[in-house]
Amino acid sequence: MQATGAPGVPRADTHKHLRAFADAEGGAGGTSWGYGRRWGVVALSLAAIGTDVGSLFLDWWKLTLYAPQYPHGLRLTMSLRGMGGDVREIDMLNHYIGMGHLAHAASFEREHAVAGVGVLALMVLALTLLAGRKAGKFIVIPGLAFPTIFLADAYYWMRSFGHNLDPHAPLHIPAFTPQLFGNGQIGQFMTFAVPAAGFWLATSGVLFLAAAVVVRWRVCRECPRAKDCGRLCRAALVGPRLPPKETSR
Amino acid sequence: MKTWMWRATLAGVVACALGSAGACTNKAEQQAAGQRDTTSLGASADLKTLMAARGLSEADVEAALKTYTPTGKKDEYLIFASGGHSGQILVIGVPSMRQLKTIGVFTPEPWQGYGYGDESNKVLAAGSQGTHSLGWGDVHHPNLSETNGDYDGQFIFVNDKANGRVAVVDLADFMTKQIVANPLVGSDHGGAFVTPNTDYVVETSQYPTPLGREYAPLSDYKDKYRGLAMFWKFDRKKGRIVPEQSWGVELPPYSQDLADAGKKVSDGWVFINSFNTEMATGGTLQGKPAIESGASQNDMDYLHIIDWRKGEQLVNAGKATTMKGIRVLPLQTAAAEGVLTFVGEPKSPHGCDVTPDGAGIVVGGKLDTHGTVYDFAKIKDLIANKKFEGKDAFGVPVLAFKDSIRGQVELGLGPLHTVFDDKGNAYTSLFLESKVAKWSLADLKTLEKLSVHYNIGHILAAEGDTVSPDGKYVVAMNKMSIDRFTPVGPLYPQNFQLVDISGDKMRMIYDLPIGDGEPHYAQMIKADKLHPEKIYPPGTNPYLGGHDPNAVEGGKERITRNGDTVDVYMTAVRSHFVPDQIEVNEGDTVNLHITSTEQAEDQTHGFTIDMYNINLSLEPGKTENVTFKADMPGVYPFYCTEFCSALHLEMTGYMLVKPKGK
Repeated sequence: MQATGAPGVPRADTHKHLRAFADAEGGAGGTSWGYGRRWGVVALSLAAIGTDVGSLFLDWWKLTLYAPQYPHGLRLTMSLRGMGGDVREIDMLNHYIGMGHLAHAASFEREHAVAGVGVLALMVLALTLLAGRKAGKFIVIPGLAFPTIFLADAYYWMRSFGHNLDPHAPLHIPAFTPQLFGNGQIGQFMTFAVPAAGFWLATSGVLFLAAAVVVRWRVCRECPRAKDCGRLCRAALVGPRLPPKETSR
Repeated sequence: MKTWMWRATLAGVVACALGSAGACTNKAEQQAAGQRDTTSLGASADLKTLMAARGLSEADVEAALKTYTPTGKKDEYLIFASGGHSGQILVIGVPSMRQLKTIGVFTPEPWQGYGYGDESNKVLAAGSQGTHSLGWGDVHHPNLSETNGDYDGQFIFVNDKANGRVAVVDLADFMTKQIVANPLVGSDHGGAFVTPNTDYVVETSQYPTPLGREYAPLSDYKDKYRGLAMFWKFDRKKGRIVPEQSWGVELPPYSQDLADAGKKVSDGWVFINSFNTEMATGGTLQGKPAIESGASQNDMDYLHIIDWRKGEQLVNAGKATTMKGIRVLPLQTAAAEGVLTFVGEPKSPHGCDVTPDGAGIVVGGKLDTHGTVYDFAKIKDLIANKKFEGKDAFGVPVLAFKDSIRGQVELGLGPLHTVFDDKGNAYTSLFLESKVAKWSLADLKTLEKLSVHYNIGHILAAEGDTVSPDGKYVVAMNKMSIDRFTPVGPLYPQNFQLVDISGDKMRMIYDLPIGDGEPHYAQMIKADKLHPEKIYPPGTNPYLGGHDPNAVEGGKERITRNGDTVDVYMTAVRSHFVPDQIEVNEGDTVNLHITSTEQAEDQTHGFTIDMYNINLSLEPGKTENVTFKADMPGVYPFYCTEFCSALHLEMTGYMLVKPKGK
């Protein structure tokens, strides 16, 4: 370690408790223990939160339907907060087979999407900054589950809509589950369902979180307090770079 | 150690990029989106054989290539043509010459439900001043609204010559919004011409009558009969003519004919030609000469020159007399104050067309072989210096003919109307010769003549009466078709002939029979200047110009009763009406308020009730109201009259009218 202060001049030690912590543990990581990686975990977690929050403003799923009398196609988009595109027209067409109004689908989920993403963000932050080694491994779980939860929920509602058709509708068709992804054909309509930008953004958030876990794992492995790591992390993940001691060891 | 972090970030970004790329490279989707038939010509394309089989010349094939418009391709221009006796405006695409629409104007138009609902009935009824409800119009001269002398594609105005009326059509939805009936005069011909910024819609009378539709014997013709140049004030924001702000200029009892507003250098002026300055009134049964002879004795009639800005000032200064709510500048005042001036125009004049630069006025003569080009600068000068040749019988100053013209162009027999191109050429219709004469405005020389079929009346060119004509196309509007089409009985179609004027020589490229009436004038506007609505916002009543207070949305339909008045708030959407059962008592007054809750393009419904003469068109988002007395007990099915969907025939319901005392 290279001394940066002028030799012999005593300096106020502003990082007393960290140094004490490092010293007590025998200074496994040196005075700058895990600095880059510690911040890396924070940055990756924040990136994951950013993607999840950002995905609130984007469409997660897009369905396009083509039929001869719709030469420009009909579009239905699904975001966390609502549905967009030609909802009115698709509802109108759906009434022929007795399908319910799209406005009635997943209304709880849509109303609570913003709060849900907020909770998710807080969980990621808490797990990143506060949880000890064991719990820290699980920071990926809420973020990873996020896109999956969306898909599962979307599937649930599609199945529910396709299986609860009004028996008095003009057209009687057997119960079905509309395709979540891929191309299909319903009557004169060709359908194309694809995940949209919001979904991909949230998926990238999963990758950020996965990276955060890996990096955190390395941080924890080198942590001076690894041996008595508790429920809460006491290693100050967002700590500063330690200045060198006045005297080298 | 940072490499881990970078790798992780990179992985995320790559995943993102792949995701979005995946989202828009679905091949099957692209194919479906571009489902256009691109089948090539194939083996049948032996042109020579096809030409021989159909007897086509190379010129015919060239014409076909210039006009044929395959499915999905759109026209470059739209013609708004007078529908003549049909009382409507015809909308025709160029170069395909396909008719796109008939706009109901003075005549009820069932397809559009025009004249079968409360508000459209009001529009039509406003045009009937007398005790007889008018069910038609003699539509003459449609004129598009202008901004700085150029079409702006917002409105079109048209006059009904037979009954002295002007209508306003809004091009946002191609619907007639207003009909104003002139309370002072009967027939009008010089209309509906707009001033360069559409401040005024000009309408001038044709056959003199006592102003205000009073009685006076023909022996009082000179003293009591008058003409009128009407300046209808147009409020562009409201999209309506405001009669209270409109005014007129009293004119001598000559037959005022066509009119045109000055533009650019002549902005602020209006020019009207006239005939029958002899004031012949006929008397054929008494052995007197018919009006056609009596009115053709003078070698010159008068081109009327009106300084409308000065007229407007005088009217606003209180120099007008109010007659039947219209402020009229008296003839003496107009003559004395320089608002009205005359100049001679040769034998049986017709057509009155201001050149694109506004510097000249071209007048034809039905019984003359010339086109006369008046020089506005000279006219203005003479008027400013009060250099008059004399006065007419009513004290209107008259300018010397030879001092007022730039020159005359030898055109041929029966020159009528003139339009212009972008290269300094003019095109005049020659009625007697059945020809279009192309001539140079600069040197007043005839360049070429093209035979048309037959008896051409008006002529139109692409934006050919604006400050910036486009050239490209001229249409000869022929009064007769004689041998051009397969016979369809003694009443023959008219014939619109499309002429390509883009080359050195004019080329006839299409014949369009018009089987609706005898069109008069028409205008051709670049299609991209028009931006019509595709659907109405939900609950729009097009005649009220906004949301109808009686409009309902889905789920709020209801029937309410107040005494013997029943209000039905109904919606129409594929493929049902809500409610679909209406029960009323004999003698009830029924108000139907029907809203189409559709918002899909071209998804129109209709509504009709058996026996009650109710027939509405419900375009997406439109609300219509109709009131009627349920005076016939019985069972009346109602149904949708547009084939809207696979279950269209099932889009029906019943109105039950319970007999009294049951």
